[in-house]
Amino acid sequence: MAAPKEQAETSNRRARPAQRPAASVNMEELRELIALLRDNGLAELELENEGFRVRLRRDSAAGEAPYVVAAPQPAPAHVPEKTAAAAVAPSGPTHPGTHAATEASGDQDLHIISSPIVGTFYRSPSPAADAFVKIGSNVEQDTVVCIIEAMKLMNEIQAETTGEVVKIYVENGQPVEYGQPLFGIKS
Amino acid sequence: MASNPRKFKKILIANRGEIACRIIWTCKEMGIKTVAVHSDVDRDSLHVRFADEAACIGPAPSAQSYLNIPAIISTAEIFNVDAIHPGYGFLAESAYFAEICEACNIKFIGPSANVIRLMGDKIEARRVMHEAGLPIVPGSSGGVTSEEEGIKVAREIGYPVIVKASAGGGGRGMRIVRSEHELGKALETASTEAAAAFNDGSVYIEHYIEKPRHIEIQVLADEFGECIHLGERECSIQRRHQKLMEEAPSTVLTPELRKKMGEAAVGACKKLGYSSAGTVEFLLDLQGNFYFMEMNTRIQVEHPVTEMVTLADIVRNQIRIAEGEPLGYTQEDLLIVGHAIECRINAENPETFAPSPGTISAFNLPGGPGVRVDTFVYSGYQVTPFYDSLIAKVIVHARTRELAIARMKRALEAMVIEGIKTTIPLHQKIMDDPRYRSGDIGTDFMEYFLTKNGRKAAAP
Repeated sequence: MAAPKEQAETSNRRARPAQRPAASVNMEELRELIALLRDNGLAELELENEGFRVRLRRDSAAGEAPYVVAAPQPAPAHVPEKTAAAAVAPSGPTHPGTHAATEASGDQDLHIISSPIVGTFYRSPSPAADAFVKIGSNVEQDTVVCIIEAMKLMNEIQAETTGEVVKIYVENGQPVEYGQPLFGIKS
Repeated sequence: MASNPRKFKKILIANRGEIACRIIWTCKEMGIKTVAVHSDVDRDSLHVRFADEAACIGPAPSAQSYLNIPAIISTAEIFNVDAIHPGYGFLAESAYFAEICEACNIKFIGPSANVIRLMGDKIEARRVMHEAGLPIVPGSSGGVTSEEEGIKVAREIGYPVIVKASAGGGGRGMRIVRSEHELGKALETASTEAAAAFNDGSVYIEHYIEKPRHIEIQVLADEFGECIHLGERECSIQRRHQKLMEEAPSTVLTPELRKKMGEAAVGACKKLGYSSAGTVEFLLDLQGNFYFMEMNTRIQVEHPVTEMVTLADIVRNQIRIAEGEPLGYTQEDLLIVGHAIECRINAENPETFAPSPGTISAFNLPGGPGVRVDTFVYSGYQVTPFYDSLIAKVIVHARTRELAIARMKRALEAMVIEGIKTTIPLHQKIMDDPRYRSGDIGTDFMEYFLTKNGRKAAAP
């Protein structure tokens, strides 16, 4: 009944039909990489290999368990190359982690606005209106960045930070779960 | 046979752990899609892994996740589910939650909100079941609000008495009182405990039956008024009113007594207009008299022992009943074959019962004839301290009780869980205990057993 903990599931599709990660995950390789990370006291390790990219990050807030993000990429047209980008700083306090997320996990320097509830994400107050914010918009603490609809109630979500919107992780009309990354804000 | 338009295509399981997995297994057999909800710390839990769809609904604390009604309903709507199975605990006996499901056009798999509310109020339940013809333990006619009133009632019914929480269950908010001078304090502490655990500090008093057996009757009722019972479960082995192990059938029930108790339970359920699965709990005294204690309007932890001896699938029946299908069985169809025993394996120190969270480093499940394990953990799984400590149920079925005990012994030996402490060694010792083996069990068993083995007997 062993279930590999290393199998990743991207957070932005948790609220959609659960899919399984691509079959190209090599468990043996992943185990070796995790050991490499741990044994050398690394905080992060990234490996690209034949159209497959893996990023491992050790989240010290959760103890010793590293978590894995595996993103299968479309097969590149050119000859694939093996590259390994080695560690950043030795493990220390990491981003006040939310949860496993694909792009958001790499955006350690950004403040991530994550969903506080389960519901449907909307970028604008009504279908015809403009989006609350776009890439490049500046936000303050009480700027409304989106609406999450739950049980027919429209919940306005505030930024609760100041800065510039540089990433939007979800699409209009997409179901979102608790903790799902919505926006990346650069302060 | 005309096809049922109310058949469910998708069910959301508003629960976690082993019962969430249990419900998913039957849904898969029935071709019904499943939606799992989980807190952020349960992301790697087995029920999430085997559901068809999943959503994180909140942080670890139950109030913000598994008890978070808006989050659960919102998830149900996003995934367009037909029904919600509440499992046991959490929202399973929340009349409010059942009402909300109905208002949102989602079928709640269980009885009506009214019945849940009625049976959830233990004082009302006693009164209603008494009116429905069930014998009850002599006690206060309603809640007891003062020491004075308590003393008066206790003098009438005779010591020892037990103070119980009206909104209670699971053995909490209870105090046994053997003499008058202890009563005031017992009323106070029981009430405080009840207020903290159930948000309702009302208490009542019953005469306390010495060395009673806890015998419960499983019932199944459809929405057309048909109701049958599936026999009894013997649940007397408890510590601090928490069940540790159960078995079916009970060693002391004759076919006549079974028939009497079964018919009493079924009769009361019919009068209540009960539907779905439920359990009527009785106390059996040494003279063979039975008294209604409480009714649980949900599936119970120990349901597998009934399933083993009757070949019934209680979850399947709950789903069929909720789909509006007739029960399809009569009481004459009931067959009880052989003997089943269940041991609840908790992530606790087997001697001190202190919780033992941590990572499971090695894991092996027993197999072979007549063995069933309901669990949600696996090698590498991290047992968290946020929830119930139950991590697995080991159930065996054999032709006789003696054979079942031998089977449980060898199953427990092969049940390997390393990296955390579990109560497996405790159960192994119980299997060897001569009093257990003789079948002489009562609610005083654990006190006897712990004392005999040199441990501090749990305070009642």
